[in-house]
Amino acid sequence: MTLPKKILVVDDDADTVEYLTTFLGDHGYETAAASDSRSALTVLQDFAADTILVDVLMPGRSGLDLLVQLRRDPRWQNVPIVVVTGSDKILEDDCQSYLGSHQGIRGPDGVLGKPVDPAALLAVVGHIMSEAE
Amino acid sequence: MSERFEKYFEQMPCYLSVHDRDFLITEGNQRFREDFGDRIGEPCYEIYKGRDEICPDCPVEKTFADGLSHSSEQMLTTRAGVETPVMVHTTPIQDQSGEVVAVIEMHTDIRKVKDLENQLQQSQRRLARLFEMVPCYISVQGPDLVIQHANRAFRETFGRAVGDHCYRVYKHRQEQCLVCPARAVFADGKAREHEEVVTTTDGRRLNVLCNTAPITNADGEVVSVIELSTDITQIRQLQDQLTSIGLLVGSISHGIKGLLNGLAGGIYLVNSGFEKDDQARVTKGWQMVQRNVNRIRSMVMDILYYAKDRDLDIADIDVAELVSSFGGLLEKRATDMDVALSCTSAPGVGSFPGDDKAIRAMLLNILENSLEACRGDSKKSDHWVKFTARRAAPWLIFEVEDNGIGMDQETREKIFSLFFSSKGIAGTGLGLFISNKIVDKHGGTIDVDSQPQRGTRFLIRLPLEARPSTRPAEEVNTTRSLNLESEES
Repeated sequence: MTLPKKILVVDDDADTVEYLTTFLGDHGYETAAASDSRSALTVLQDFAADTILVDVLMPGRSGLDLLVQLRRDPRWQNVPIVVVTGSDKILEDDCQSYLGSHQGIRGPDGVLGKPVDPAALLAVVGHIMSEAE
Repeated sequence: MSERFEKYFEQMPCYLSVHDRDFLITEGNQRFREDFGDRIGEPCYEIYKGRDEICPDCPVEKTFADGLSHSSEQMLTTRAGVETPVMVHTTPIQDQSGEVVAVIEMHTDIRKVKDLENQLQQSQRRLARLFEMVPCYISVQGPDLVIQHANRAFRETFGRAVGDHCYRVYKHRQEQCLVCPARAVFADGKAREHEEVVTTTDGRRLNVLCNTAPITNADGEVVSVIELSTDITQIRQLQDQLTSIGLLVGSISHGIKGLLNGLAGGIYLVNSGFEKDDQARVTKGWQMVQRNVNRIRSMVMDILYYAKDRDLDIADIDVAELVSSFGGLLEKRATDMDVALSCTSAPGVGSFPGDDKAIRAMLLNILENSLEACRGDSKKSDHWVKFTARRAAPWLIFEVEDNGIGMDQETREKIFSLFFSSKGIAGTGLGLFISNKIVDKHGGTIDVDSQPQRGTRFLIRLPLEARPSTRPAEEVNTTRSLNLESEES
């Protein structure tokens, strides 16, 4: 029997966290949650995420800052990251204008807009997991 | 020969007269006789000016005295009473021994020249009036950047500027500006247009569109620079407002997406709860729906308040009733969030003058923020929000304290800024901006004390006697972050 794939949801909005973790749990994923970038790093110590869903605009360090930090850390640089955002600007330029200042940093493995389309979420996460296999 | 000169003398197109030492006219030509009559033997001052004594500064007298030619401008009056401006030239007539025995005087009619002079003067006055009255700031600067001329609008707005350096007058600087259009015009003689922010004598900052052009001499050298500045402050303010509206639309769109996400989450939990016959999930989902509906309501209220900057409707507000009403309004929401909410007012807190709707909106905003701050904090198991009111003359003090997630210094300093939200997608950045505005309009202040992970305390002071704000609008949205402990003592 294969173990469920693990997804970490990082979002400061408790409703979004509740929604995404419940929804993904109902679809066979094991989930954990963090309300900001700093606590995400703490959670990752004990939760070997197969994919990370990260919000962009959060108090303190943004989700894109977290992405850059994870990409630079050998422990997590290969973990796929999906950015979930309500910002049209970030959706439009696919995070590239932000990441442009960080040479050599790989962009997100997927970008999803808010409100999250459940079918699109499953498709993106499913694709990432199958790629990993 | 003599006959020929006599003919010339007669026909000269000017007044020619010969004067003896007693200033009597001994001869006069045809033009003289035509305009002054056949008055040979009468004194020149009587004939030409209608005077009964010699004129002051008389050129004939001078020529008799020094034997030299003299000239001056005079005004003659003909026998028809016509005043005629003339240029007078005198020449001595000497006898064989060199003694001046007579003086010949020639009067040239300079009426046309005078007319042209008058026209020129009028035209100069018109131009000077135009320069003075143009509703723009005009100044002329020399190569040393000293203002040589300034029109009325300039003087009224920037003070007596002539003789002072433009950078001192316009910018209150002690040294030249790094980018100086006047210097550039002196360098290449080309006109410039640029935008500047300048400071008036009373400290107002104006946005001006400044056109700078060279003034050249006959050789084409730039001797001075003229600057014409138009006040475009209102246009810039309108542009800022348009930018704000653009930001507002972006912010609302961002906020609505977050709320839709919350609603979608709630609906998912309700539906899946029913499918799984999981009552706890249904309840949680329904709470999410309710919470997000409440957020939409708050957001709409904020947008409406922002869109319409209405005047306060001041009436006496019963503080105890106001405080306890929030207990009823927020109790269920607080319980759902697992937050202990207490709303208490000190005995005898009485009433204060305020706009009931605005004060309620302001307090609701701050209380909702505190509740959200508790919900967003996963580090502590017990959360509380304490809402109190008390009198501390001349203030009525509301205090909203929570042990939620707290704020770092950067967040704390920005919370009253327009469109700043620490709530990520769930905030529009309007709520606390408007709360601060409401308190300021009442003549009060909001102070905030916060520590990350420990909690936040808002201290709202409102005057017990009506006292509208006197703070300039641009100062209102700065965060006051004081040591609340010392404030209270």
